[in-house]
Amino acid sequence: MNRGAFVKGVLMALAAMALGWVASKTVASALVMTLLAQSCFYALFALGVGLLIRQNGMVSFGHAAFFGLPGYLIGIGLKQTDIPIELLIPLVVLAVTTFAFLVGLVFVRVHGIAFGMLTLAIGQAVYEASTRLRGLTGGHDGLTIKFPRELFGLPLKTFQQPHGMFLIAWCVLVIVVTLVIWLAHSRLGRLTEAIRENEERAGFLGYRTLWPRAVIFAISAATTAAGGVLFALYNAYISPETVYWTSSGSALIMAVLGGSVAPWGPVLGSMVYFFLKEALGDVTTHWLGIIGISLIVVTVSFPQGLSGLAMRLLGLGARRRHADS
Amino acid sequence: MLIQILNGLVYGTFLFAMASGLALMFGLRRIVNFAHGALYMLGAYFGYTAAKLAGFWGGLLVAALGLAVLGVALDILVFRPLRGRDPLTTLLVTFGLALISEDFIQTFWGNDTHSFAEPALLSGVVQLPGTTFPIYRLAIVAFGILVAGGLAFWLTRSKVGLYVRAASHDPVIAAVQGVDTDRLSALVVGVGAALAGMAGVVAAPILSISPAMAADILVDSFIVVVIGGLGSLGGAFAAALILGQINVLGVVFLPELTALLPFLLMMAVLIWRPTGLAGSRV
Repeated sequence: MNRGAFVKGVLMALAAMALGWVASKTVASALVMTLLAQSCFYALFALGVGLLIRQNGMVSFGHAAFFGLPGYLIGIGLKQTDIPIELLIPLVVLAVTTFAFLVGLVFVRVHGIAFGMLTLAIGQAVYEASTRLRGLTGGHDGLTIKFPRELFGLPLKTFQQPHGMFLIAWCVLVIVVTLVIWLAHSRLGRLTEAIRENEERAGFLGYRTLWPRAVIFAISAATTAAGGVLFALYNAYISPETVYWTSSGSALIMAVLGGSVAPWGPVLGSMVYFFLKEALGDVTTHWLGIIGISLIVVTVSFPQGLSGLAMRLLGLGARRRHADS
Repeated sequence: MLIQILNGLVYGTFLFAMASGLALMFGLRRIVNFAHGALYMLGAYFGYTAAKLAGFWGGLLVAALGLAVLGVALDILVFRPLRGRDPLTTLLVTFGLALISEDFIQTFWGNDTHSFAEPALLSGVVQLPGTTFPIYRLAIVAFGILVAGGLAFWLTRSKVGLYVRAASHDPVIAAVQGVDTDRLSALVVGVGAALAGMAGVVAAPILSISPAMAADILVDSFIVVVIGGLGSLGGAFAAALILGQINVLGVVFLPELTALLPFLLMMAVLIWRPTGLAGSRV
């Protein structure tokens, strides 16, 4: 990436953060803020899933494990050890990422539905562990996370109010999206895209094809874990439902609705998902049917998702070149 | 112990009846059908409603015929237009269909769990050395074996079966040789759907019917198909029997890990042979 693009990226990220700050100051409705905060957590979740689709061409059905594990690990870490929370959070994200990398080294060898089933296996393994290790996780009752009164110099209340949390989650989201866009243009990003298109050919060109995909798998897990940390901070509670496979399914739907061609597609997908659900929740009980129909319409008619559609409608030529490259 | 092994056999043969349809569809259309659990569930509900009027056997017949029609429609309206698209697209479309079916079921039959009586002909128990075993469960084993035998006979001894095997091997060459692959796959998807629907009715007396029934069985059937080698019926049969045994033996010896054992088995097999027991062409 050249220097101009770098500066432009940083400026756009700062502008996006400023926009979030303005939104948190002007929007008074707690409901809207709650929805926005929640869609930020799930946007990070879906971003991880979308990243895996985009760079590796692999669909995960078990990312809920990476979303729920941070909450459990933080909760257990706070209860059993004296590690300060400011250190515990990075440690937990690092642990989840390392775990994903090691698992990824094995998983990325298989393709298609077999990969999907293996990720599902990891997800269900974490789900089973969360329901069975009752002493540590609280089983089906879930685990209440006892955060200290102050984290990173901010009172805990800030993290648990919609307005405060939205601003924090939004900033994290903007930073992660910027990093994901940067990753897509980096050497690793281009290499994994080449492997996605033709693994054999990339191998013949002299590239190793296994570990770059495992690294992408780990980064995708780290992205999802970031969402999981925020989710845990906001709710101070985690239950097996969060790591159940339907949770992975929702994130996959968000990623697909938003489209994985543009790196920020899953963010749009999760916002649409939450606001649509809220808007329709009062009117109809047919949420499953509606989401099923939208999924089919989007995958068949707009394979690039809502983000692809938006870019086409707005005629963002420059962006489109990025997306196609 | 004998009871456990028999119960494992019951689950294994039943799983095969489910998974065989998945394997056939994958063979012919290269489609990973996420809606297969929904077909199974629809079969169970159709059968449940029909059985109120026409008894168990009427229910079974309605489920088989209804799902066969639905399967043919699924192939013509969904799989055929999506032919040649990214496998991810068809996977997500069938995922969407599964969600719609669940909504449909909840709308028409509600969220309650229904029970389904076994037919009078197959009620009662059979005397075994030192214990008894329900006849109905043995009938499920017979059903699974009948499905396996019937499919094997059909695929290896009939002309249409030959076409199916040829088209699974290479649809283009088969088409060039004059096989109408579109009609063939409508037939195969119809058969697979009918099998799933019948499995739904057959399982109903022991598993009960609810909108949540699709997910568990779908995951287990996928594991069977993946372990067996995508598209391979022989591999799926072996995998289904192994999975059946693992499930019940797990309950006895490793109750903490039971739910995980199928996944662990799948991981071990895939690490050892990434294409599954029987190997796969894809």
